[in-house]
Amino acid sequence: MIKDRVANLFRDYDEDVRKVIAAVIVLEQEHISMERPRVKDAIKEIIDEAVQK
Amino acid sequence: MNETIASRDTVVIDEGVHDVYRILTEGGDALSVPFRTMKDVFMFAAALGYERGEHRPLTGKRLTIFRWAQFTPQTDIPLLKCLAIARIGDISVLLKQDDLLTTAEEYANAGIHELRRSLLTESGQPLWNLVALLVSQDNG
Amino acid sequence: MKLDRITLENFRQYHGKQRLTFSKDSKRNATVIHGVNGAGKTSLFLAINWCLYGEGPSNTGELMSKEAVSGAREGETISTSVELAFIHDGERYLVSRRLVGVKQLDGSVPVANLDDFTMMRTKRDGQAERVNNPIGRMNSILPSNVRTYFIFDGEKIDDFARPEENEQVRYAIYNVLKLEVLERGRNHLQAVANEYRKELKNISRGELHELVEQEEKALDEKQKAILRKDQLEREIESARRKISDIDGRLREMQSASGLAHQRDILDGELTKRQSESDQLVSNIRDLATNGFIVIAQSAVEKALSVLDGKRERGEIPSSIRQQFIQDLLERMQCICGRAFDVGGEEHRRLMALMDSSLPGSLEDNVLDTAAALRPFSERAQSLKDTLDRSMQRRAELFDIIRGLEEQLDDVSRQLKGSPQEEISRLEKQREDFRADIESYKLEQGSLETRLESLALELAALKKKIDAAKKDQTKEDVLTRKMSLAQRSADAIDQMYQTFADEMRERIEAKTKEVFKLLIWKDSHFQDIKLGPDYKLDVIDRYGLSARPDLSAGERQVLSLSFITAMSRVSEEEAPLVMDTPFGRLSSQHRNNITEHIPELADQLVLFVTDEELRDQARANLEPRIGAEYRLEFNRATSCTEIVEVNS
Repeated sequence: MIKDRVANLFRDYDEDVRKVIAAVIVLEQEHISMERPRVKDAIKEIIDEAVQK
Repeated sequence: MNETIASRDTVVIDEGVHDVYRILTEGGDALSVPFRTMKDVFMFAAALGYERGEHRPLTGKRLTIFRWAQFTPQTDIPLLKCLAIARIGDISVLLKQDDLLTTAEEYANAGIHELRRSLLTESGQPLWNLVALLVSQDNG
Repeated sequence: MKLDRITLENFRQYHGKQRLTFSKDSKRNATVIHGVNGAGKTSLFLAINWCLYGEGPSNTGELMSKEAVSGAREGETISTSVELAFIHDGERYLVSRRLVGVKQLDGSVPVANLDDFTMMRTKRDGQAERVNNPIGRMNSILPSNVRTYFIFDGEKIDDFARPEENEQVRYAIYNVLKLEVLERGRNHLQAVANEYRKELKNISRGELHELVEQEEKALDEKQKAILRKDQLEREIESARRKISDIDGRLREMQSASGLAHQRDILDGELTKRQSESDQLVSNIRDLATNGFIVIAQSAVEKALSVLDGKRERGEIPSSIRQQFIQDLLERMQCICGRAFDVGGEEHRRLMALMDSSLPGSLEDNVLDTAAALRPFSERAQSLKDTLDRSMQRRAELFDIIRGLEEQLDDVSRQLKGSPQEEISRLEKQREDFRADIESYKLEQGSLETRLESLALELAALKKKIDAAKKDQTKEDVLTRKMSLAQRSADAIDQMYQTFADEMRERIEAKTKEVFKLLIWKDSHFQDIKLGPDYKLDVIDRYGLSARPDLSAGERQVLSLSFITAMSRVSEEEAPLVMDTPFGRLSSQHRNNITEHIPELADQLVLFVTDEELRDQARANLEPRIGAEYRLEFNRATSCTEIVEVNS
């Protein structure tokens, strides 16, 4: 799957970065058909969660 | 003491006059710091307020300076009741702690200005100014 | 995604409900749908796009079956819908889009709603549930921005191979291979990082450091002041000892001993009087503090008169009377012993008496208050008297103390003026030491004041430091968030080009693979190139670009190769739905393509005219056909019927 390929792309980066990117990619994919998607708040939540750990 | 209906047990003052309360109670020298506690200042201010016939509702931000429990049952509490009755005339006020507090607070809010004027702006040590204030009271 | 079944209802020329089931077999993975031009292939193709993505004419009236509309009575509801069942990731989905309208008198059918789009999902346990975010889900399964590469119109087959179409190629790769997803992700992460950065600027920075410095300074000063006070205390001690020595020597000297002695007595007296005066001041302060009862005299008198008045008017019965009435009521018996009934005259009278009196607690309160207030005037007077006496005594002491001090001065003067040099010298020294003590004491006093204000300062600083520490924590968290967002954005930025290049190379390789498969055998093309400028090129045996020389058919094969390569590389697991893909190819090309194309997709759906699929082409495709349909157009009704062809 391209998803795996993308995840693999970032294998040399820190775990928190990888987690964030993986979650952001899923988010962006869900909104891909929209011209101006409102994803900023969702991204902030992703970052919040990653920082809590 | 007799039971009263109360919703609060804190005594509040206007934030703006807090500094007067502090100046009159902070420090060790009896001559410049004539009152021991905030409650003492409050009682004096309330009495003065009544005596001058002035009361001011609290309008600005409020500060809690002490609690109901500080009032002595033999002197302070009868006096609070006394101020309320003297002002309102209705004796049911004896059962309402909130009204007792509010009445006293409003008198104190006016009287504190008089207290400051007499003790701090006049020349001489605050304690002697206080004594002069008392001695000059002309009671029958 | 694998298509399962499509159901049309009153959609364009498909009147009533009509159904078509796609082949899901892995070997016989092709579904072929025949129809002459105008029979309804395009409408069926549109139905898929409309159902999944809402693509279609803006005038939705054009979608409703005219036959259904004309056949309906005024007031009758007409429903147009397309339902598509598909399988994705092992789960069954059912997507449906529907239009509903009511036929008007004038024959028009205004549509009641914007189309109604629902998605249901059947879980592995068989339960069906509605999907809450259908658009988001479709975006995860097969987003609308890439559908044209999977569900594509044969007319557009040329699009990728024309020389001027680099942009189309780039756009295709960008969307299908998730580059857009990455780019959006990077941009949004960057925007979030920037927002955090801005927020950080607003939090006060460096304040904590400054405050701690201030605190240190204050503590340092406090320390020094304490040390100095101690030092002064020792100096005072030392000076006192020296004075004591001098006193001792003076006492021994004959001509001085008398005066020295006198001084001793005076000193003792002075100390006593001074401490008496101090005590008096303290007492006065205590009295004055309670002096508010003096001020409040008029209030006390007024309150007592109110209370007494009420009592005199009988509004405050004594508690004895209340208790008495209570007892009678309980015993239901009058004081004379006669019993009375509930409801009887006597009973009612007594109850009235009880009711008219005040509640017990208030009554007690009134009595107690009056009792407490009554002694006030005496207390006030007594306080005033005591205060008067104390002030008087203070004045007296003041005079006494002054008198003693004068006498002491006198003694000192006499000693200083003594004809004996030794005595005079000693006395002068003594005086110096006393002056020293006085100045030390003064300094001690000011240090004392300074220490008091330092204590207040330190308390205030501590509060500020605690608040600043809280801010610091906030700052730290925000910094970590900003850093994470930024690092993530940077990571995508760094890897983006690598990913883009990798994808481009894979498409290039796959396109070449497919092209070699689909083009006829004796072609003289050596290679396919997809450069960083996204130009899709064919290289001939001379190593030169052969694109300008491609025939129309060859161009179409190149395009088709590119599309199928994309489909494979994207690993999207999507069906390939093609509307008349072979229309413009020569039979040679057609034959070659039909032989290989089923390999290039998991599921293949082909809309073809009979012209397209004949003879060899048909024979090539035959072993892979899993389902076949014919679209039969009825000229009389202008409606199409889907008919299954069984072989």
